[in-house]
Amino acid sequence: MDTLVEIQDVTKVIKGRTIIDSVSFDVKKGEVFGFLGPNGAGKTTTIRMLVGLIGITSGDIKILGSSIKTDFEKAVSHIGAIVENPEMYKFLSGYQNLIHYARMSKGVTKEKIDETVELVGLADRIHDKVRTYSLGMRQRLGLAQCLLHDPQILVLDEPTNGLDPAGIREIRDHLRMLAREREMAVIVSSHLLSEMEMMCDRIGIIQNGKLIDVQHISDFVQGKEKVYEVEVDDPDKAQRMLKGIYPELPIQVTGNSVFLPLVRDGIPEMVKEFVSTDIKIFAVREVTKTLEDRFLEVTEFKGGAGHARTDSK
Amino acid sequence: MLGLIQNEWMKIFRRPGTYVMIGLLLIMTTVAGAFIKYQESGGTVPDNMEWKRGLQTQNESYQKQLEEMGEMVPRDMKEQYQREIALNEYRIQHDISPNEEYSIWGFVSDTSQLIEFAGLFTIIIAGGIVASEFTWGTIKLLLIRPIKRVKILGAKYITVILFGLMLLALLFGYSALLGGLLFGFPEKAIPFLYYYNGTVEEQSMGLHLIAYYGLKSINMLMLATMAFMISAVFRNSSLAIGLSLFLMFMGGQVTRLIAMKYEWAKYSLFANTDLLQYFEGVPMVQGMTLGFSIMIILIYFLLFQVLAFYVFNKRDVSA
Repeated sequence: MDTLVEIQDVTKVIKGRTIIDSVSFDVKKGEVFGFLGPNGAGKTTTIRMLVGLIGITSGDIKILGSSIKTDFEKAVSHIGAIVENPEMYKFLSGYQNLIHYARMSKGVTKEKIDETVELVGLADRIHDKVRTYSLGMRQRLGLAQCLLHDPQILVLDEPTNGLDPAGIREIRDHLRMLAREREMAVIVSSHLLSEMEMMCDRIGIIQNGKLIDVQHISDFVQGKEKVYEVEVDDPDKAQRMLKGIYPELPIQVTGNSVFLPLVRDGIPEMVKEFVSTDIKIFAVREVTKTLEDRFLEVTEFKGGAGHARTDSK
Repeated sequence: MLGLIQNEWMKIFRRPGTYVMIGLLLIMTTVAGAFIKYQESGGTVPDNMEWKRGLQTQNESYQKQLEEMGEMVPRDMKEQYQREIALNEYRIQHDISPNEEYSIWGFVSDTSQLIEFAGLFTIIIAGGIVASEFTWGTIKLLLIRPIKRVKILGAKYITVILFGLMLLALLFGYSALLGGLLFGFPEKAIPFLYYYNGTVEEQSMGLHLIAYYGLKSINMLMLATMAFMISAVFRNSSLAIGLSLFLMFMGGQVTRLIAMKYEWAKYSLFANTDLLQYFEGVPMVQGMTLGFSIMIILIYFLLFQVLAFYVFNKRDVSA
């Protein structure tokens, strides 16, 4: 697959403080790349460097081979972006806003504007002043604004911030559709983990300015071991029994269930043990780990030192 | 580039505040016209056929004062008297009465005081044009277009200048129109007399007023440039507008005060923006010439521009 965006060893130092520390990753055609991290980790800074709003201290960012540093105009012409909230000129109508941005890119026709308005579903309100728009409509106008010049890369910083569930869903569907049908590369940042889980193909986790992990979403969420929930009649007895067999595993009890991490092949063995100690099993379920669990795991174990989470222990 | 200027123009004219400014300028001109018309109807121009003798005695008294004070006379007063004397003599020689009838040109000349207001409004626009993009948050979407920042800032500056020129043209056009309607055209063209480098010369009134407007607007355009620079460097429109307005009203006075004691006042921007001082008055500091002032103005202009463009181009947009 073609690589559209290459982030090469990018570092940003502001007033002697390293905000971003040699981050590198690639984004390919037709892929939704999620950029995940706690607040202040450097998501927005990285995204702003990507679109040229912030200078790069060292390293480089290449967009379809053009450097954002030395060939800004060419590189950025392939990008459509919303950085944080899509702030528009409130005293202009939605349409005037789009004309404003259309004038700043080459070859955006009136038809193209109309087509984009249609695509994001703003056709009936486009001539109203942006002041009167709801947040969801502004978000859609923001999307229209970054699709005008048919970019091959979409960059969205916190695209679902402040939206209601319907709005979030709408944006998500748009993004998936664009990545699939137009083969765009989409880079999304968020701290909303559940959101990312549904939207992204790959995820990069950033913390304290360092990219600590890049994984496919399915690998990322599942890891190697899975957690199983076993519903039994006597959970305390079950726990004692399990402690005896697997002394090193973290075993939890909730209500009528015990939870333990296991590899798949270990299940029959475990069931046999339950049966032989005369504990009744009502169900054995695989607990799907959410992104959130994984995220906290990863950020805690990899480079999480000195952070609030470790402090609180 | 044309598209960018069009954009900026649209952003100025889609805001009601702009129309309030233009409206105010027109209303002030109208009020001034009505006021002068009302006053004028009270008494007609004194048709004094004795004006030649009047000027003669005036000249004699000037001369006498100069001689009496001798070395004591301050430099600018002396030059002022010499100028008056030269102009009066020219009038007597060429039979040009000072008692001209109040006409369109008189009105246009009077309303040229309103250039200050045109300047004020231009400063407001200049101070907001970059800073507002930051306060609105729209700067982010503006700077991720495939256009170099220098071009965007350049388009903004050109728009400010165009806006200023538009206000000036509007003021000139409207006051000429109103003056023509209220006071009519003079029966015979009266030339304007100016005194430069010790000689008196004639100039047509229309041409004189256009030149007068041009020279007066230099101050306004320089202050607008300064407001623009502050706006681009500090991203703060209140600071840009406040500081520029303060200097617009106080800069000249303060410089004049300093100029009384120190000669370096002549390097201040405000000692030089009024180029009229070389044609119709006395230079603020002795030894200043037209060329010197133009140089100083250019140096300040470049300084403002370099600062604005350098900072804007380097800035990390992280708000």
